[in-house]
Amino acid sequence: MRESGAGTLDTHEHHAERGFWRTYVFSTDHKMIGKQYLSLGLFWAVVGGLLAHVMRWQLAWPDTAVPGWGEVGPETYNVLVTMHGTIMVFFVAMPILLGAFGNFLIPLMIGARDMAFPRLNMLSVWVFALASLVLLVSFFVPGGAASAGWTGYPPLSAKVEYTGVNWGLNLWILAHALEFAAFLMGGVNYLTTAIALRVPGMTFFRLPLVIWQQLTATTLFLLSVGPLIAGAVMLLLDRIIGTHFYAAEGGGDPLLWQHLFWFFGHPEVYVILLPAVGLVLDVLPVFARKPIFGYRWIIYSTIAAGGLSFIVWAHHMFVSGMDPRLAMPFSITTILISVPFAYIMFAMIATLYKGSIRFDTPMLWALGFIAMFIVGGLTGIFNGSAPADIYISDTYFVVAHFHYTLFSSVVFGGFAGFYFWFPKMFGRLLSEPLGKIHFWLTLVFFNVTFFPLHNIGLAGMMRRIANPLEYEYLVPHQWINVVATVGAILLLASQIPFVVNVVWSLLAGKTAPKNPWEANTLEWTAPSPPPPLNWGATLPVVYRGAYEYSLPDMAEDWLPQDRALAARSR
Amino acid sequence: MASHGVRPNYVAIWGWLVALMIAGLAASFLPGARGLAVVLIFATAVAKALLVALNYMHLKFEPRLIYAIAIVPVLFLLVLTVALFPDFVFSR
Amino acid sequence: MAISAEAPAIPGILPGKVGVWWFLASEIMLFGGLIASFIVFRLGSGGWHGEAAHLSVPIAAVNTLVLLTSSLTMVQAFATAERGDQRGPRTYLALTILLGLAFLGIKAYEYTSEILAGFTPGTGIFWSFYYAMTGLHALHVLAGAVVNSILLGAGRLRNPHRLELAGLYWHFVDVVWIFLFPLLYLA
Repeated sequence: MRESGAGTLDTHEHHAERGFWRTYVFSTDHKMIGKQYLSLGLFWAVVGGLLAHVMRWQLAWPDTAVPGWGEVGPETYNVLVTMHGTIMVFFVAMPILLGAFGNFLIPLMIGARDMAFPRLNMLSVWVFALASLVLLVSFFVPGGAASAGWTGYPPLSAKVEYTGVNWGLNLWILAHALEFAAFLMGGVNYLTTAIALRVPGMTFFRLPLVIWQQLTATTLFLLSVGPLIAGAVMLLLDRIIGTHFYAAEGGGDPLLWQHLFWFFGHPEVYVILLPAVGLVLDVLPVFARKPIFGYRWIIYSTIAAGGLSFIVWAHHMFVSGMDPRLAMPFSITTILISVPFAYIMFAMIATLYKGSIRFDTPMLWALGFIAMFIVGGLTGIFNGSAPADIYISDTYFVVAHFHYTLFSSVVFGGFAGFYFWFPKMFGRLLSEPLGKIHFWLTLVFFNVTFFPLHNIGLAGMMRRIANPLEYEYLVPHQWINVVATVGAILLLASQIPFVVNVVWSLLAGKTAPKNPWEANTLEWTAPSPPPPLNWGATLPVVYRGAYEYSLPDMAEDWLPQDRALAARSR
Repeated sequence: MASHGVRPNYVAIWGWLVALMIAGLAASFLPGARGLAVVLIFATAVAKALLVALNYMHLKFEPRLIYAIAIVPVLFLLVLTVALFPDFVFSR
Repeated sequence: MAISAEAPAIPGILPGKVGVWWFLASEIMLFGGLIASFIVFRLGSGGWHGEAAHLSVPIAAVNTLVLLTSSLTMVQAFATAERGDQRGPRTYLALTILLGLAFLGIKAYEYTSEILAGFTPGTGIFWSFYYAMTGLHALHVLAGAVVNSILLGAGRLRNPHRLELAGLYWHFVDVVWIFLFPLLYLA
């Protein structure tokens, strides 16, 4: 008896039985939930991107009204900066990289029919949807949306009279609380599923790296978010009940917030990065037709980086007025954490060496990730070193750094994954020519937009200022702001081929076969898209790791994880 | 479900918990230097917590993975607490 | 409910238990963050002995006893279910709920007398921490009582698994109080 429960199901009948609401809205199917996270993430990407464009227009031409928006004064600019950051980190990066790819891929890649707790999974995406609604509403309440930065530092965030924002900030805190609850539920699901529901033969060290990265990211989130929730409770109490946690005049200390926020904030950036790294690590071997280089050491490096990520947080606080004696230990740990990540980047490049490279669109995005992340990672070393950071902190140098790392994660890594798994998710093939155009335009204009920000940051342009022309020493550098804004507009336009591609392919694209990329992992043994419960009566059995490409003495250059070989030498 | 064999004597554990609580209370009334009293008080608290975790929460019988899930957060909290000392204990 | 493989990948581990322990890990970090902040503030402020003197140790001691006993009744609910006892689980679970509500009632009485004496959350940083820590804990006790009530109402207590999982959460809430009691009242 292989297993209990439903066996073969006719997909068509099944869907007709369940109706629209149970299939598309109140679904417990991990694949549908993944798509729901994707949809919400893409919605917020549009909103967050538009906010960024208003910001960039204001920075390039401060004395003009932004088309479609109006005049942008300092208070409005603070709202833009705050909501852009909040949306991109918590409502775009996390739902897409963790929520969508994690939900869709984890059960499929381990041979499970669904997550361990399907109804909890549905609850998680609904709580996330509620968080989205709360954040959306916060734009329209009297006083407007939160404006204390995505980092929400007190005293600015602790007292209504400092920002003029009352309910907007309270709703902002509530939206975060709901979002955290959603991802805590999801996280519990991911970890339990991967631990308990792997099919026979799928040992931990045969898991695709996507899974390892999702699990590490989930663990990081689960363990780091607690202190921030504690801090957020304290902030809310300061605002609403009049406690004094962050008010020096009441015996509190604003610095406490920064410690609690960044204790979470730093692991959080790896919560975003690691899933993207996982997507790239699984795309590279397929399109190089070569095993991933150094599989075990990638896993060890990931775990090491994850552990180290809990002891680097104060590198965000070098100029905060914290005890200067903390600067050296945190600089050291920060430099240390670059080592495992460097290993992973080297492993990616080594995977390509002497491979038979197929330059399909997913591979282009993966290669783009490697290049762009290396740039971002290199500038991270300067930021992480206290003496250098004293100068560049809170300038556009940091902005450039984190856009290179975050953008490479969410956009390059995310699109690598999206183009790669689109056939499996939706049963259609995307257009290759449109995909390539999308990639090259994005690559070029991303760099046009963000590379010059390194320079203007070193020249002294500070973050979060609405009008650079108010500062005499920035006036000669204003042309850089114009270049960046033009780049940003063209970067936005570069996404048009993507939208056209997706809409066209969903409506009229070629039907996708089970395994269009000739890849080894288990999800490619299910139909495209997989039916409810993923496989038919029998689950796959796993015989080997995920990266057996171009084995000697084999006719094909790939060997799926679930294919039993006739009894002969391995 | 794997059989667990012998279960702890839950009532006996409760007895120890109450006794430790009384001991902690008594320690709080100790005259003299506060330091020793505080050490004793928290020793009883840790002991109570361990009794509950190991026996009522069955940690004694669980695989190592579950132990790890319970212990690692505590270690991270120690790191956080220590790191907060310079800014909040030494300077205030 | 949970979809389980025929043979769980790690023998001896049930998915529900793993899930609850991960949730508890995040809760440890939540209360731990609050407690770590309290500890460093308290050590940096000369001990807050004057303020803490206004708390009622006897009331808190009674509450500690209530919660410790409720852990006993909770685990007995599980143990009797495991032994196949029919009435035991219902009785013990009901007792646990009652003790939890008793804790909350005593806490409410405590808060009322403190507020009437003029000690509100805004009175000072010690009181801010006191209300935040015990308030968050009380919310968790309430949530636990709600979960237990749902279990009691749904019946089907012959399967000890759910009682064990609910028990894990309940004991955790007890452990938090085991630390809050000395941190706030005794030290």
